[in-house]
Amino acid sequence: MDSTFVSKTNNKTTTWKVVLPFYGYGAISFLIASFLLVCSTNNITQHYFQPNTLAIVHLMALGWGTMVILGASHQLVPVLIEQELYSNKLGYLSFCLAAIGIPLLVYGFYIFDMGWPSKWGGRLIILAIIVYLFNIAKSMSMRKQENIHTVFLITATIWLLLTAIIGLMLIYNFTYPLMPLNSTDYLPLHAHIGIIGWFLLLVMGVGSKLIPMFLISKYSNNKLLWLIFSLVNIGLLIFICIFLYSSNTLFFVFPIFSIALAVVLFVFYCYNSYQNRVRKKVDKQMKLTLLSILMMVIPIIFLIVIILLFIFQNDNELIIISYGFIIFFGWITAIILGMTFKTLPFIIWNKVYHLLAGKGVTPNPIELFNHTIFKYMALSYLFGFILFTIGLIINYQPIILIGSILLLICSILYNWNIIMLLIHKPVKK
Amino acid sequence: MNVITNNQLKCTIALSSLLKVMDPEIGLNIVDLGLVYQIDFNEEDKILYCMITLTTQFCPMGDSILLAAKEALQTAFEEYSIHIELTFDPAWNHKMLSDFGKEFLNQL
Repeated sequence: MDSTFVSKTNNKTTTWKVVLPFYGYGAISFLIASFLLVCSTNNITQHYFQPNTLAIVHLMALGWGTMVILGASHQLVPVLIEQELYSNKLGYLSFCLAAIGIPLLVYGFYIFDMGWPSKWGGRLIILAIIVYLFNIAKSMSMRKQENIHTVFLITATIWLLLTAIIGLMLIYNFTYPLMPLNSTDYLPLHAHIGIIGWFLLLVMGVGSKLIPMFLISKYSNNKLLWLIFSLVNIGLLIFICIFLYSSNTLFFVFPIFSIALAVVLFVFYCYNSYQNRVRKKVDKQMKLTLLSILMMVIPIIFLIVIILLFIFQNDNELIIISYGFIIFFGWITAIILGMTFKTLPFIIWNKVYHLLAGKGVTPNPIELFNHTIFKYMALSYLFGFILFTIGLIINYQPIILIGSILLLICSILYNWNIIMLLIHKPVKK
Repeated sequence: MNVITNNQLKCTIALSSLLKVMDPEIGLNIVDLGLVYQIDFNEEDKILYCMITLTTQFCPMGDSILLAAKEALQTAFEEYSIHIELTFDPAWNHKMLSDFGKEFLNQL
């Protein structure tokens, strides 16, 4: 035997048993949030601080966005950090804590009771994040080499923890005066640490690895990724300082510029990956994912408009609500809709056909979900999103209602494909 | 990419059997993807050593690909014990694609 042979390299991936519950939970949350959105179209344009809106936002941010991302990340962390996950049991524990905590919190908001349901919900969610953070940090500590994607991931999780802690403090602030101002005054701080620190940073960290990987791109630029990472974090830290210590709205231009520049550079990174791809054909799932990357620019434009309106003393509630909608039902939903069908079929294929590999012709992973349903899901999503946004901006109820119904249809079709995947039984060709 | 071997004839047979093993995400076989680095035959102990890589470390489909490669080689070389080894040194990159693989990905 030639000496160039090496001992068997570790390639232990995370078990599907840890990952699938997160996807299932996320799908149901999306369905419920879409249903609540249809039920709330009459009062959604009034003010963002109201029970229905709080419930929908937290169901979308935690039940949908965070749960699917946590599930996918348990599978993708080994790919990102090139190191196996430290503990599957901690993955289960993190799921259980969040799965109990999220409905309690959402229920608390829905009935606008800041008593035990929302407090216990918040506590359990914080515990879930701590468990997840510990699991990721331990996994990373077993790896010797530094990796930019892991830095994104761990930093994003720390921001998520901070978001959840602030959120719980805001709940307590309703009953005990913990903070100098009202809880509602701190909502922009809580929301932006979560949106930028958690979602934006995580999507950038994971996307910068997965998008070139799926496209088989020749492009790689770690220096640019470090710059993007610095711009987002510096921007967010400046934002926090200005929010807490300055009353001059004009100063918010600096963090917005820093974060907007990071987003533009990330779009540039993805564009270069796309241009330098070896694999010429881009599938539907990747197209939706790439679209969601472009959609990252829209909230930035809205944010600039909001700041300009504040500067000119014109507090436009509808623009603020549209901004939140574009983030949760736009950018985050689009990326999840695309990436779910880029990752989940492979997890299911491994679960069902792993032991049949090489023993006969098995279906291809992408054949495990219905592509017609996917197409109609994507169409109903795009039209629903566009109509709802237009309806919000012009404050026209019938368009908002049609948009919300289309989004509900999208969530039903998404759940349909998810159920088909989750109950898939072996089929030999 | 050229596969290292100590028996060119048998290596050709082994590679043709590995053409059936696909990377399900890309839809291309592992030979044209350039995932097969080395195939050696120990005639004395009847052992076939095959060194394979994956496009990404900790690829969720990795175990299935290795299992399928083992099955394919076992079918072609029934009298041999098949030893599959996984390596990421060197890591896979697009330059390892065969001409057919490059054409396939260009035309897809």
